[in-house]
Amino acid sequence: MPFIIKLIKAREVSIMIFMAAFFIIAGAINPEFLTGSSLSLLLKSSMILLLLAIGQSFVLITGDIDVSVGSTMGLSAAVCGALLVNGIPFWGMCLAVLMVGLIIGFINGVGVAQFRVPAIIMTLGMLGIIRGAMLIFTGGKWIEDIPNYYKKLSSLDFLGLNLAVWIGLVIMVIIHLILTRTKFGRNFFAVGDNVEGARMVGLPVKRVKILAFMFSGISASFAALIFVMNIGFIPNETGSGIELQVIAAAVLGGVSLTGGVGSVIGAGLGAVFLTTISSSLVYMKVPAYWNNTISGFLLLIIVVGDAKLSQFVKNRTSRKSKFNKPVELDGKEGDSHAKSNKVLM
Amino acid sequence: MQNLIRYLCKWELALVLLLIIELIVFGSITPGFLNVGNILYSLNDFVYIGIAAIPMTYVILTGGIDVSVGAVMGLSSITAGVIWSHGANIWIAVIIALLATVVGGLINGLIVAFTGVQPLVVTLGTMFLYSGIALVISGGSSASGYEGISGFPENFVQLANSTILGIPNPIILLIILMAFFGAVLHFTPYGRHVVLVGINIKAARYSGIRTRWTVVSTYLLAGLGGGLGGLILTSYFGSARSDLGSEAILPVITAVVLGGTSIFGGKGSVIGTAIASIVIGFSQYGLQMASMSSEQTSVVIGVLLILAVVMRQGNWREIKRRLVSKKIPDNSKRGAV
Amino acid sequence: MDYDESPVLMKMKTVFKAFASQPVLQGVSLSLNHGEILALIGGNGAGKSTLMKIIAGLYKADSGDIEIEGEEVKFSAPADAHKKGVYLVPQEPMIFPNMTIEENIMIGMPVPPGVVRKRIKDEVKRLDWHLDTERLASTLSIAEQQLVEILRGLVRQADILILDEPTSTLTFGEINSLFKIVNSLTKEGLGVIYITHRFSEIFQLADSVAVLRGGVISLQGPVTDFTYKKLVEALMPIDKRSSGSEENHHSSMANTAMSTNEQPILSVHKLFGERFHDVSFDLFPGEILGVAGVVGAGRTELAEAIFGLAPWTSGTVTLLGDPIAKKSIRTRMNKGLVYVPEDRHSHGVFRIASIKKNMTSTILHRFKSIFLPFKKEKEITQEYMSALEIKSVGENAELSSLSGGNQQKVVLAKYLVTHPKVIILDEPTRGIDAGSREDIYKIITELQSNGLSVMLISSDIEEVVRLSDRVLVMYEGRIERIIKKQDLSIDAITSAAFGVKKEVVT
Repeated sequence: MPFIIKLIKAREVSIMIFMAAFFIIAGAINPEFLTGSSLSLLLKSSMILLLLAIGQSFVLITGDIDVSVGSTMGLSAAVCGALLVNGIPFWGMCLAVLMVGLIIGFINGVGVAQFRVPAIIMTLGMLGIIRGAMLIFTGGKWIEDIPNYYKKLSSLDFLGLNLAVWIGLVIMVIIHLILTRTKFGRNFFAVGDNVEGARMVGLPVKRVKILAFMFSGISASFAALIFVMNIGFIPNETGSGIELQVIAAAVLGGVSLTGGVGSVIGAGLGAVFLTTISSSLVYMKVPAYWNNTISGFLLLIIVVGDAKLSQFVKNRTSRKSKFNKPVELDGKEGDSHAKSNKVLM
Repeated sequence: MQNLIRYLCKWELALVLLLIIELIVFGSITPGFLNVGNILYSLNDFVYIGIAAIPMTYVILTGGIDVSVGAVMGLSSITAGVIWSHGANIWIAVIIALLATVVGGLINGLIVAFTGVQPLVVTLGTMFLYSGIALVISGGSSASGYEGISGFPENFVQLANSTILGIPNPIILLIILMAFFGAVLHFTPYGRHVVLVGINIKAARYSGIRTRWTVVSTYLLAGLGGGLGGLILTSYFGSARSDLGSEAILPVITAVVLGGTSIFGGKGSVIGTAIASIVIGFSQYGLQMASMSSEQTSVVIGVLLILAVVMRQGNWREIKRRLVSKKIPDNSKRGAV
Repeated sequence: MDYDESPVLMKMKTVFKAFASQPVLQGVSLSLNHGEILALIGGNGAGKSTLMKIIAGLYKADSGDIEIEGEEVKFSAPADAHKKGVYLVPQEPMIFPNMTIEENIMIGMPVPPGVVRKRIKDEVKRLDWHLDTERLASTLSIAEQQLVEILRGLVRQADILILDEPTSTLTFGEINSLFKIVNSLTKEGLGVIYITHRFSEIFQLADSVAVLRGGVISLQGPVTDFTYKKLVEALMPIDKRSSGSEENHHSSMANTAMSTNEQPILSVHKLFGERFHDVSFDLFPGEILGVAGVVGAGRTELAEAIFGLAPWTSGTVTLLGDPIAKKSIRTRMNKGLVYVPEDRHSHGVFRIASIKKNMTSTILHRFKSIFLPFKKEKEITQEYMSALEIKSVGENAELSSLSGGNQQKVVLAKYLVTHPKVIILDEPTRGIDAGSREDIYKIITELQSNGLSVMLISSDIEEVVRLSDRVLVMYEGRIERIIKKQDLSIDAITSAAFGVKKEVVT
């Protein structure tokens, strides 16, 4: 029983179960959906959302939110396109694009950490500013004529997986290891879990918050690089509205908006799941306009279900712990107390 | 009472000043700007933002947020359109559409109040859900996706396009809503309940206030506000579309926050929201007159939003000190215990 | 312990600190020796917390010197203080709920995890604590959280441990364990600064006392030089001292006779809930019923169930002869039952609202007009502000600008405006200064003389003994004993609170 509860509590597992169920249903309706090529296409098309969700996780884990990622991706894509069209070499272009995200993230972070603007307001404002800046930068025109060498990168495969997928997976695994295995990574959780406490134990709270936004910004730039690669041109509305999908993906994957809880693997799975829903509809012969309805419905079911479940688990644990004998800090009761809790964990 | 007025006036006064500065600046850049008729008609382009933002103020006052309001606009628009196109009387269609948005708001409120899931997450989910349903309604009916349903009866189209005493109807509606919601907020027990719930929902419950009902009611009103906004927009354009208002959420929240409502709840005013939505509208209109595209003007809205919050939160003395000497510890603001 | 011979551990000289040009500390000088337990007392707003936060590196002093082991130190962050061996255990433990105990201790330490893990193990073993460091912190009780905080300090090899009112959220048993731990720590040379509001603790634990008043240390010396009375006098503002001590309350209350023939106003019969079992008792008009017991004994849960904040599983509660099981909180309040919550900050006050808005929050629905009667609202507020001696600039003052004691009075007033017949007070004097505490006692006895029935839940046994007509002692969710007035004593309550079979702990 405790193992099962622990398993259900790990949102990565529950979302994987949901995904498996979805794959089975979609596969039953149309077996073509489960072929290697359609699955690898699915992965490839979920990479933009996945990268953004990873970056967003940093911000959410520290207890903030970043709704400017869509517009950051848009501006980064525009810069990417403009530099490529003007013949700037690949690495120079990459560096410049990543700098765009880095700087925007830095501004967001400083606004939130230093000037104490609530994150949602700060990034909502930045959303408008960056979106406008992008349109001023492009003059409202689409950027086309991306050099072919760059577009071709999108069809590069290694070991059956697309280059973009490799980039996404490698980044995800590295970040996951950093977040869970290093002191540097644990700082993000600590700040989101209890800001005052983090300050008390001497963590550089402001720096951590700013860094989280910078990671989010860079992830948007990475997403932009892949976007340009895949699409081959940059429309005005690049990235518009994707911020809410990104947050939905992270939340779906178990990242809590209250901070301190979540993993990038979960967020990544959430992103893949959302993409799965939208790309499976074609195979299931459901009109595409059902996409949002299904996504929204599933998001609500999973989130509400999760809240109810954790309430239930918490009730069971706290009932035990509160009902125990008065805690003897140095006595044996303390011990049994600890154990009885442990069982329910 | 005097204190109340003084409290109310502070930020609202700053907004009015901002409005006057806007009028002067834009008036001097573009000569045609100060034409009264022009100004009034320009307001029509964004009055739906104010209509949605006024009830949204209540939601944010309780410490919540409703990002589904844009989707609700589309939902109300397409619902009215589809029902009408199936032969119903347009006013019956409008009433059913409004009912649908009330139900949408009710669902938001019920989930927020009874599950403990964060409002942002809940309304994010319902945003997808409602915009999806709007798409399904429009896709499932004969209405061609993005062109929408048009050809409404003249009296419905005139709703948003005619004037009373020279003032366009939508602006009259905005003023009525502002007066009504403002009075309810500041002068009735219900309004006080909303504020108290926003300051400390637990203390409110311990005070015998029906907190859940209060929370649910604010989302319900926000849904209704979205519905009204969507229908005004439908009437204004003369066509019903499922994606109407899909970009509205940024300006709506900007209007509420710029209007002086704290995103953490407990503090705010409806009049501020209304004035702020006019400020935003003028800046959009003025910048467009100065040959910027409407998307480009979002730079100005974004800057306004951030500056407003920085200015409101700014402990000016501290900022001055911070500028003088760089090494002030971060927590000095919290003061002695 | 002959701390006189040990060298000085920490010394601070003429420390000044002002917030927004309002002086808080005006030249504080203080010293702490190895192995010394220094009790620091002072009224609310005297600057105790500010002073400690300066020592712990959270605030920076405007001027003044701090020396540790003879070496002058300047802290600009808590981490600096940790390096010099200063650790502050805050009043509310700073725990990361979503991390394990181990992670909670490790976080922010510039030492390899392996080393820290070993140190944790060593410390836990040395102090003979039984603590599973893999537990998630959100499952810990407050006492255990405090333990983790102390561990945090020890693992950081603190020489100076500052405890900021550690017992305000603890129960008797937990307090005793804590005292044992503190004592064993000081034997090894650790210096402890102990902030408290409870005088009994000073005499029980401390070696010396320092009184902070008006931004300076007004008195400091070995604890043997002090008496209870002397401490009270040192704390009282000068103008209040002549008003005399309130020791005589008890005798005056004895006059309020309680006839047993009377109908109970509140009657609880065989009530079962998640955290209480088989609770039956009657509350009579004009009676103060004390409810004692350790935290976790189910007292607050019982009170919240009676008030309607949580359901009970079986049993009946009748108020004025009517069962109230299915009634909403609002209906119960309208019938004359109110509950003044234990946790003032999260359940009692609307921090950023005015005194007026706080006070009328409970009766808004009773105004029958569509619009709020502002004039009446103001009158009601002013009436209660003067009756309860709430000190502030006016009825529109924001609650956050008030002292803890005055905030508590506003919370009390907020429920009194409903004209209750039964008032349940849950820890009404927790965390407030001595002056306000006496005021609250006065209010409670006045309520009683006006015929109100009071259920007084308190962990301060002296308070319970002093005010109550009868005391109901709860232990593990059950009523352990009901003690009549003539049998009331601290010992009787303490032994019952820990279960009769246990020895009385002192």
